[in-house]
Amino acid sequence: MKIEDDNNNHALTRRIAPGLGIVMIAIISIGLMIVDDAGEKLSPVRDVLSVMAQPIEMAAEWPGQTLTTLDRYFDRGALLRENERLRQNNLLLQGRLQRLAALEAENERIRALLASASVLDQNVLIARIMSVSPDPYRQYVKLNKGSTDGVFVGQALIDAHGIMGQVTDVTPLGSRAILISDPNNGVPVEINRTGLQTIAQGTGHAETLTLPFLPNNADVEVGDLLVSSGLGGRYPADYPVAKITSVRHRPGGEFLDVDAAPTAELERGREALLIWSTPEPAEDIASSEETSSPDDGSAEENDDAEADRP
Amino acid sequence: MIVGARISALMMIATLAAALVLTLIPVPPVVASARPAFYTMTVLFWIANQPYRFGLLAAWVAGLMIDIVYGTPLAEHGLAMAVAAYGMIKIREWLWGLPLIQQTILLAPVLLVYEFVLFWIDGVAGLNVDPWYRWLPVVSSALLWPAWAYLLERIARVEIRRSR
Repeated sequence: MKIEDDNNNHALTRRIAPGLGIVMIAIISIGLMIVDDAGEKLSPVRDVLSVMAQPIEMAAEWPGQTLTTLDRYFDRGALLRENERLRQNNLLLQGRLQRLAALEAENERIRALLASASVLDQNVLIARIMSVSPDPYRQYVKLNKGSTDGVFVGQALIDAHGIMGQVTDVTPLGSRAILISDPNNGVPVEINRTGLQTIAQGTGHAETLTLPFLPNNADVEVGDLLVSSGLGGRYPADYPVAKITSVRHRPGGEFLDVDAAPTAELERGREALLIWSTPEPAEDIASSEETSSPDDGSAEENDDAEADRP
Repeated sequence: MIVGARISALMMIATLAAALVLTLIPVPPVVASARPAFYTMTVLFWIANQPYRFGLLAAWVAGLMIDIVYGTPLAEHGLAMAVAAYGMIKIREWLWGLPLIQQTILLAPVLLVYEFVLFWIDGVAGLNVDPWYRWLPVVSSALLWPAWAYLLERIARVEIRRSR
């Protein structure tokens, strides 16, 4: 053991006693956390630091991507099979699309008869999922599309099978979206079979959502499909969210224990769609954005406040 | 352990960046919840190894980087890292005299403090996470410490030789 003193280069913290230093840092940290949690004030700091972190995140992505690329390169058979499967899938979808065009037009006409606004104009942007949460206690994904592509906070994210989540942070070159399975996230849903409205809450596990607010006499069965109800103005209406996997009646409890499995491939997909939906009554949504802006950071749905809104 | 020899800031940043990459590489969820805290271990190593050049403030800034990449409230991991660093400063003089294997035993409580601060902040913020997972990285990190510290020491030694 050998201690070499380096007299001309004492760090700042050596001159302050560590005990005092830790107290100061604790106070500054708690202040920062409160300010950061409260709103957007620190986002310039975050932007600068996240640009610095970008190369590191890219480096972390690199091994996985290389493996996939190599895999594709060497396994021609798999590539051909995939191509074949996609071709068939495409044909199938094209077929359905023909019907959809007619249905859409019909729907539009009927809506016009009912004198209600049209909701069917939706733009999408394909985003690559750069990484899933390295923190096992939070469920989110990082996307390679940011504010330069027009991504905004609160934007809904879907994949081929259903709703995935919503965007919570946007930097110029990327964004972060909280998944519906995050314990902090709730999706207003309705049971497709009965139209019963409720909220699907994340649990922290990618395979499970829970529906905590269904009374004992609710009409719900295993296998029921949950679709987004569009209440709250964050998630567009009528996208599949989850399928009920278990319904338990807890003796003495006021609510059912209902679990559901998300239909979207939350931790397996590589691509996702960001959607721009033209919301129904425009100014209504704008006001809901305002009311929910204080907790944008935590991306919590203002469930109670907004679900009651007509 | 050769303590206090002059290691360039660049070298410390490079090792921290490498550790951060290891923390971020996507792995299956089961592995992720037990993943050793490479980054925390690296910060703690430099705290012990570079008492004059890597202090509380550096540890705090290093922790802020985690907040950025995880997207947690700014300074959550910063605070946890600074508290762990404080613990390390308190025990590092004992640590210097011990072989790497025995350092593990002293280090485990420091890592536990780091996780506890995070656990506590999450609790205050109303985030309920499965507490059981919280403690797995403590075990895996403590077990990995001798190997990781040995590697960093080798890197430090090469750097010292190069600068002479």
